[in-house]
Amino acid sequence: MSAKPVTILRGLNRAALDAYLGHYGPGSIDAPARYDALARFEELPARMSLRGGRGWKHDLSKLDFSDVPAFAAEAVEISLESLSVEARHKGVTIDHFSHARDRHRVAFERAFGKAVDTRDDKFASLALAFANQGVFIDVPAGVTLNEPLLIGYEAREEALFPYTLVSLGDAASATVIERIAAADGAPLICGIVELVVGDNATLAYAVDQRASESTRLILTRRARLGKDAKLAIACAELGGMHAVSRFRAVEAAAGGRVETVAFFFSDGSQHVDIETETIHAAPNTQSETIVRSAGTGHGQGRYFGNIKILADAHGADASLRDDALLLSAGAHIDSVPALEIAANDVKAFHGATVGAISEDELFYAESRGIARADAERMIALGFFEPAISRFPTDALRAELRSALGLKLRSRPV
Amino acid sequence: MSERGLVIAGLRAGVKNGADGPKEGTEILKGIDLRVEPGSVHALMGPNGSGKSTLAFSVAGHPSYEVSAGSVTLDGEDLLGLAPDKRAKAGLFLSFQYPAAIPGVSVANFIRTARQSVRPDDLPPAKFRAMIFEKLDALDMDAAFLSRYVNDGFSGGEKKRLEMLQLAMLAPKYAILDETDSGLDVDALRAVGDSLRALRESDAGKDAGYLIITHYPRILQHITADHVHVMLDGRIVKSGGPELANEIERDGYDKIREQVAASVG
Repeated sequence: MSAKPVTILRGLNRAALDAYLGHYGPGSIDAPARYDALARFEELPARMSLRGGRGWKHDLSKLDFSDVPAFAAEAVEISLESLSVEARHKGVTIDHFSHARDRHRVAFERAFGKAVDTRDDKFASLALAFANQGVFIDVPAGVTLNEPLLIGYEAREEALFPYTLVSLGDAASATVIERIAAADGAPLICGIVELVVGDNATLAYAVDQRASESTRLILTRRARLGKDAKLAIACAELGGMHAVSRFRAVEAAAGGRVETVAFFFSDGSQHVDIETETIHAAPNTQSETIVRSAGTGHGQGRYFGNIKILADAHGADASLRDDALLLSAGAHIDSVPALEIAANDVKAFHGATVGAISEDELFYAESRGIARADAERMIALGFFEPAISRFPTDALRAELRSALGLKLRSRPV
Repeated sequence: MSERGLVIAGLRAGVKNGADGPKEGTEILKGIDLRVEPGSVHALMGPNGSGKSTLAFSVAGHPSYEVSAGSVTLDGEDLLGLAPDKRAKAGLFLSFQYPAAIPGVSVANFIRTARQSVRPDDLPPAKFRAMIFEKLDALDMDAAFLSRYVNDGFSGGEKKRLEMLQLAMLAPKYAILDETDSGLDVDALRAVGDSLRALRESDAGKDAGYLIITHYPRILQHITADHVHVMLDGRIVKSGGPELANEIERDGYDKIREQVAASVG
């Protein structure tokens, strides 16, 4: 990648964008599109769901970015070497996002902007304006990848604006695992993930986010599915001072299926906001949403889940299940599941719970000789298991369990 | 002084009244004396509401129950001052009438954690596996059972079989079986009975003492009780040999109630 910029500008403003473009050039996103996006970021309000009030520590409508170092110089580690022999042999493209438009124009144009619309979205606009890192993956039609593709983003001292564009041709099949890390002091990660899944294609996309406690993250993830396509997205939001994870999938053609899984565990003074939305826009589309959240210490969290079944989506089948576990008196989790149904002849279900570990479960484990603190950890880990078990690969599942175990062990009893 | 056995003396207990409210009128156990010797089987029988489960929970240390008087010792060690896990480590086991479900925790993981807690480091993983498969087989249970979540979506029979599997794997010094026979069909009852008998005849279980709580005598067709006690209204009103169970089967609890009333009156 390019060398470090000579000076680091602070603030996410026009001067910073001028300097960025002067140094790096526009890359895969035209300069006018970036300036338009910056203008939208400055003008648009934060969405209602991301505002403060009612004792929330973070209010995205009042953020001050004037001190944020705007460039991420060498701030990202993209594991392009992870393009395995298998993937190369099968004609899969993985490249830096900034070169993707030049080097893979046809494939890039086929996917870019097809799932993401930043026009009405403040933070997606910010991510687009400053997009400085990222990955483009194109899996050609009919190709099945058996090994997962790995992407790693690591923020250091400056803001990171990653754009991840994944495109699967018709009947292609792939698994992508994205890891997000941030060093202590990394201020901001604001990115876009765009998933375009062709007819009959199958994509599993997993996110393992473990940024440092100083980092604010605002990730906008969008997917669009073709006919009979399948998407399984699984997000583990474990790190960050304030992590905002927003996912929306549009089932644009008949017969698609979206599985959305997310979990978070806010401890210390973390705040996590998760939004998921599945839009059934075509007949006989299915979706399943599973969210598990826990809070301890003074951790806070919010979950907004929406299932939208449009008028044409007859035969749709949707379920949304969201459970929250409170492990301390100071923790606070809000959960707002919703269904909007405009079609007849659909199946839709949603259920939500918020609660503490039950005394009956604890006593049962204790009566078997398991000490109370160990029993609490075991039960809390078990609480996440229905979400963890949906993540791809044994190795990733084991890592997530051990990351949760660490968080549980470090919590004050 | 070290006295062998699970010894319950003058035990009075009731349900906690939430917060620190008054205890008057909440007493359920009104002075229980019972001694389960090593290697013996005691049956505690009584109608619903007589206080049998309260006794089980009070001995095991359930936080919703409060002991107001009396003592419980296990081979001389005071149990009432111990946290529930310490009571298990001392050698006590309670088979629950309504075992709690622990979603997300597999049966194998739960039992391994429990076994390591009560008997640290005594069983290498390969031997643990061999042992649990053997016990599963004896209970007519499939190996797939081990990867299911503890009691999550289990039928009544599966729950009780899991209790018996844990009993066999933990091999405690004293086991209280609270209504292990309730809600079982004939096959499940036989499997549970066979498992209990096998444990009684095994090296690990032959010196253990068992307190079998039940309101039907039918489990006693599968495991013979050396002593039978009848509990009414928080008291043990009659004790005898195995023939007492037959008497209850024949006459019900009303006859005993009448006898007690007559002797008091």
